[in-house]
Amino acid sequence: MRIGIRTRPGREAADARSGEQHAAFGVLIEPGPLTAAVAGAMAATATEVTRLIVRTVLGADHPVTLAEDLAVLDNISGGRVVALVDTGTLDPAAAQEELSLLLAALTPRPVQHRGIRWQVPAGLEGHEAPERIEVTPKPVQLEIPTWVTGEVAPQLGAHTDLPVLAEDPAACDRRRRVQPAIAQLSGDREADRELVSRWSDAGATHLLVGAEDLDTALPEISRYLIPEVAMPLFPRVVAEAMTPRGWPGPARYVDPPAGA
Amino acid sequence: MRFGAGLWCLQSTATMPRHPATAYRELLEDARVMDRLGYDSLWLSEHHFFYDGYCPSLPTAAASVLEVTENLRVATGMLLAPMRGPEKLAEETALLHERSGGRFELGVALGYRDIEFDGKGVPRKERVQRRKDVLHAVHDRVPEVPVWLGSALPEAVERAGRHAHGVLFSGANPLSLVRDLAAAHRRGYESSDGSRPRPRVAALRNVWVTEDAKERAAVLDWFRASYVLYAGLGWSVPQRGQTAAMDFRAELDKALDDAVDTAIIGSAEEVIDGLAEVAAAGVDDVVFRVVVEGAPQAAVHEVLHRLAEEVMPALREVEAA
Repeated sequence: MRIGIRTRPGREAADARSGEQHAAFGVLIEPGPLTAAVAGAMAATATEVTRLIVRTVLGADHPVTLAEDLAVLDNISGGRVVALVDTGTLDPAAAQEELSLLLAALTPRPVQHRGIRWQVPAGLEGHEAPERIEVTPKPVQLEIPTWVTGEVAPQLGAHTDLPVLAEDPAACDRRRRVQPAIAQLSGDREADRELVSRWSDAGATHLLVGAEDLDTALPEISRYLIPEVAMPLFPRVVAEAMTPRGWPGPARYVDPPAGA
Repeated sequence: MRFGAGLWCLQSTATMPRHPATAYRELLEDARVMDRLGYDSLWLSEHHFFYDGYCPSLPTAAASVLEVTENLRVATGMLLAPMRGPEKLAEETALLHERSGGRFELGVALGYRDIEFDGKGVPRKERVQRRKDVLHAVHDRVPEVPVWLGSALPEAVERAGRHAHGVLFSGANPLSLVRDLAAAHRRGYESSDGSRPRPRVAALRNVWVTEDAKERAAVLDWFRASYVLYAGLGWSVPQRGQTAAMDFRAELDKALDDAVDTAIIGSAEEVIDGLAEVAAAGVDDVVFRVVVEGAPQAAVHEVLHRLAEEVMPALREVEAA
C-alpha cells in the first residue's frame, strides 16, 4: 500500500513540497469547493513528481468549467492529476449527470450532452452553432484517474465502476486494482503503525492520511509508516534501527568556482 | 511608465506545434526570466473550445506563475467574465491575491464568440450583467485587487474611468484610437468623485528590437500570423469615429495590414521613440506583445532581454500625457 497526505487549507504548496520530500505518493488538495484548481496549480509548481489529488466538488460550477480547470492543471503538472470527485449536496441522479458530463469533457471526443441539468452545447446562439464542442486543452494523461467521494458516492461508484474513497477499512473492495482510502493519524507511532497496517490488510492501495500536526507527522510517515506497509513482514531490524545522522552541509552540492 | 509582456495564451497551433504541457512549462520559464529582468507584469489570455488548446482557465495558470516568481505581477488580459461563476472567481481572486502578496490583477472582458456562450450555456444577452456580477463579487471579497477592463468603445472606456477601473487596449488599435480612448478614460475618471487613485491606462503594442533585416521580416510575419489566429477566432474591431474598422472576417488582408502597421520594430533608439509616442497618447503601461505566433522561445527571451536592458531604463520616468 502507498501513503499520501492531506494538505492543510492555506498550506497546499508548502505541504505538497514537504510531502514529496517525505516520499508521499500523492497529496490531497482540498482548499474549498471553488478553489481546488488554483491551489492545485500552486502545489503543482512546488513539486515535481508527486500526484495531485484534487477534490473536485460537483454542483459548485459548470462541469465543463471543472473539466477545463482539471485539464489545465494536468498540463501544468505534467500529467499528475487525480480527480477526487466529491458529490457535495447533489442527489444521486444529479451527481450522475454532472460526473458524466465532466468525464465526457475530459476525453478527446467532441461533447454533446442532453440532460436535465445541462445542455451542451446549449443551442442559444442560432442555427450556426455546432452540435458538439471540443473542450480544450486535453489532459496530458490518457485518462485522468477519477475517484469518487461524498454522500452518494457508493451509488455513483456502483453505477460508473469508479473507485470510491473508503473511510472505513470494511468498505475496501479487494477486486479493485486501485482502492483509495482516507484516515487520520493519531500522532502515536505504534497506534499509527497499527492503523496503516489495518488499512493495508483490508485491501486499500492508496491511503491519504491527515495529521493534526503535519510538520511533525511527515518524518514519522516517511520513516515508519510508508516502509511498514510497503511489503508484507517488513523487517523489524529496519523498522527499529537508528536513523543515521544527517549531513551538516547544504541540501545541494554546488561546484566550487573554477580555480578555487 | 511601467512595462509588461503578453499575451500568454498557452496554445499549440497548426503552424507552431508543441506538446500542450510544453506551453505551460515554457510559461513558467518565461515568467522567471521576466521576474529577473525587472518587468512589472505578465499578461495571460483566455478562450474556450479552440483547437489549439487556448487557455480556458486563467486563475489556474496565474497560480502557477505567481508561485514561481517573487516580484512579477500577473494579470489576466482578459478573463472572459461571463464564462466563470462570480462566487468562484471572487474566491479564486482572493486566494491568488493573498498567496502572492498582492501580485494578481484581474482583467475581465465580455467575450464575443458564440460557441463559448453556447458551450457554457450563457445567453450572450446576459454577458454585461454577468460581468457586473463578477465585478461586484470580486470587489466585495477582495476590493484591493486592481481591475482592468478592455474595450475599444469610448463610452465604455469612459465608464471604466468613472469607476476607477484600469483599461487595457488591443495591440491592433492604431495610436490615434489609443489616444482617443485614453482621453475618454481620463474624462471618465475626472468626472468621478476622485476618492480613488487614477486608474491606469495600459496598451498592448507590437514591439520588437532588432537591427537585422531578416529578423525584422520574420517578426512582421509573426505579427501577421498572430492576427490570422484572431481572425480564426472571429475577432474584429468595428469602426469607431475617425478610426476605420478592422474586419478580419470581411477584409482579411486589409485588416492584417492595418494591425501589423501598428508595430514598432527597429533599433533600441527607434523603439524608445515609438514608445514615447505611446506615452504621449496617454498610456501609463505598455504591454509588449512579443508572445506571438511563430516566435520561438529563444527569440522571445532575446527580445525580452533587449527591451529590459536597452529600452525600459530610458522610459521608466516617462509619464503618460
